[in-house]
Amino acid sequence: MVSHNKRLVAALAAVAAMGMGLAGCGSDTANTDSSDGGKVTITYMHRLPDSEGMTLVNDIVAKWNKEHPDIQVKATKFDGKASEMIKKLETDVKSGEAPDLAQVGYAELPEVFTKGLLQDVTQYAEQYKDHFASGPYSLVQVDGKAYGLPQDTGPLVYFYNKAEFEKLGITEVPKTQSEFIEAAKKAAAAGKYIMSYQPDEAGNMISGLAGASGGWYKVKGSSWVVNTETDGSKATADFYQQLLDAKAATTNPRWDPSFDASIKDGSLIGTVAAAWEAPLFMTSSGGTGSGEWQVAQLGDWFGNGGKTGPDGGSAVAVLKNSKHPKEAMEFLDWFNTQVPDLVSQGLVPAATTEDAETPSEWSTFFGGQDIMKEFKTANNNMGDFTYMPGFSAVAAKMNETAAKATDGSGKVADIFSDAQTTSVDTLKNLGLSVSE
Amino acid sequence: MTATTQTAKTGGAKRAAKPKASDAVKRENRTGWAFMAPFGILFALVFILPIVWAIYSSFFRQVTTGGGAYGGGELVNKFVGFQNFQYVITSGAFWAGVGRVVLYTLVQVPVMIIAALALAMLIDSYIVKHITAFRLSYFLPYAIPGVVASIIWVYLYNGQISPIVKGLAALGIKVDFFADNVVLGSMANITTWTFTGYNMLIFLAALQAIPHDLYEAARIDGANGFQIAMKIKLPNVRAAALLAMLLSIVGTIQLFNEPQVMSISDPSISKSYTPMMMALNTSQGTLTPGGDGPASAVAIVMALIAGVLAVVYTLVERKVNAE
Repeated sequence: MVSHNKRLVAALAAVAAMGMGLAGCGSDTANTDSSDGGKVTITYMHRLPDSEGMTLVNDIVAKWNKEHPDIQVKATKFDGKASEMIKKLETDVKSGEAPDLAQVGYAELPEVFTKGLLQDVTQYAEQYKDHFASGPYSLVQVDGKAYGLPQDTGPLVYFYNKAEFEKLGITEVPKTQSEFIEAAKKAAAAGKYIMSYQPDEAGNMISGLAGASGGWYKVKGSSWVVNTETDGSKATADFYQQLLDAKAATTNPRWDPSFDASIKDGSLIGTVAAAWEAPLFMTSSGGTGSGEWQVAQLGDWFGNGGKTGPDGGSAVAVLKNSKHPKEAMEFLDWFNTQVPDLVSQGLVPAATTEDAETPSEWSTFFGGQDIMKEFKTANNNMGDFTYMPGFSAVAAKMNETAAKATDGSGKVADIFSDAQTTSVDTLKNLGLSVSE
Repeated sequence: MTATTQTAKTGGAKRAAKPKASDAVKRENRTGWAFMAPFGILFALVFILPIVWAIYSSFFRQVTTGGGAYGGGELVNKFVGFQNFQYVITSGAFWAGVGRVVLYTLVQVPVMIIAALALAMLIDSYIVKHITAFRLSYFLPYAIPGVVASIIWVYLYNGQISPIVKGLAALGIKVDFFADNVVLGSMANITTWTFTGYNMLIFLAALQAIPHDLYEAARIDGANGFQIAMKIKLPNVRAAALLAMLLSIVGTIQLFNEPQVMSISDPSISKSYTPMMMALNTSQGTLTPGGDGPASAVAIVMALIAGVLAVVYTLVERKVNAE
């Protein structure tokens, strides 16, 4: 009997040990409630690039931790796509292990809210309101309540190689749609492209371009009014369709090596890009055309009347089971106003506490231009575009349809009709009401 | 639980006659189950439990109930009966995905198995020297993780940077590995490249288990090398072929890495290109209806289809063998 008991104990111990091992799997970012002696720990999950030459998030956080022994912050980088991070947060919130703070794109914020992952922090946000531009600040709100603070914005601008433009006899960035298409055809005849059509970014970029002249999603009463086939959408479809028909735009996906190759070999000499793409674009180019590139505002190419639209840009939100929302917001306000550090990460900060300066490597690449100033101009010129919950399904569908237009098996206009049906389906499947 | 009842049964019957033996049997049983425990517990935790959970969650859908345009900021698990299954079974996207993997399996698996068999026969024959080197080099692609293999091949397929495409273009041959009717073949090529060596090893093991007396007897009877291969070797690796085919069918039905990686270069590869991609993207909400409920339903329906296919294949194979 004695030996039997011993064995039983041993078996139980083995099982317990195994259990511990398994439990250990998911608790890396655990919201450890270590409020011993007034000291709290805040966990923060981000998707910032943290590349070489940037001020690393952990270094920024270390500065805070040094000055605030009572509020210690632990930042973790999520390596993966936004949709994967949302899935992780969803699971983590359910199991009570979610971080206190997480980066959430403006396009995803309504979705993340609807999924029940956010905490109302309006009472803490109010006092920090003046530190941020009002546009982005309102994008962190749902139904008038705040769920975090804005970090950066992603206005769409135009990157172009000025020297190459001049070689082609294009003296300035075209102002109207017809001027642009004419210039694009002229460039294409010389084997150069002044626009890229990026199927894998359609959901983010083309929605932003089409939305520059007016939003797609409006709330009337308590139901959604969806119209993705606005005049802006039609103008955008028309613009790209003409370019594709004339073979006057590249069709490489943005995140495929072929896109980088098209800049490196000097064939792509102009493209619409989000402001945060500047350092990524410099890497993509491998230095080709350094000093010759410039940033310009979008012309009236998309029926946008000189306005621009959003592509990306993120807030940092307070997640549902954070036990220290007050402290988390205190840190967040500090972090999101570390303007030079955030700029080094390639962000156009939403903070207004300090003027963002163009880093010297950027101005070297962009011909000595103060591109941060251009980004700010674009920012102030951004149309209102609010996203619906579940927009990621719409964006995914738009990308797929956009790709079909590159080989002629579909039309650019299909992007917007598919966006319409997918938007309505998604809202309905979430149990939200849609007025048609 | 079963351990105790079983012990009690066997022990009880023998207790009257040989009480000592019964203790021994009891102990033996207990030891047996103890040895089983590490496997049993892990199997239950990481295999049985998730399956049960998936089946359970496939009857729910994640919806808002709070009202308002944003649904009140809470998703509720709503019991929907068989609605998720109804969605999957009536979804055109799902069946298009099933169609793709079935077509893929029908073409890719036979090609790969025949290639693997041919390589194994070649290595097993007397023609080839340096067997170890060949065996290793054929098997090497399998050592490369599927995702990495896909990335390498996508680079080789890429119209703008691929040395293959550029080389062929220089010879005047224009190829587009991402064209709508070619892209499935491009994926099949990646899978074939990766797994042919692995299947070859299965065949090689079977071939080397054949007693060599058979060959000698055949030679004495005047059979040449080709006849030996066709009449002795081939019939003897049938069991191995069945195993290799089954493993391959199950593998290709779960086609995921190749299309997932290739969709970076070709965004027209949809989020529901194969059922497994559809399951993942449904759970992440990039397909609608999203959430774990519909995603589990996709996975379960696909598991059933794969199961049926495997059983049908085994039955057909048995029948053919019996004849």
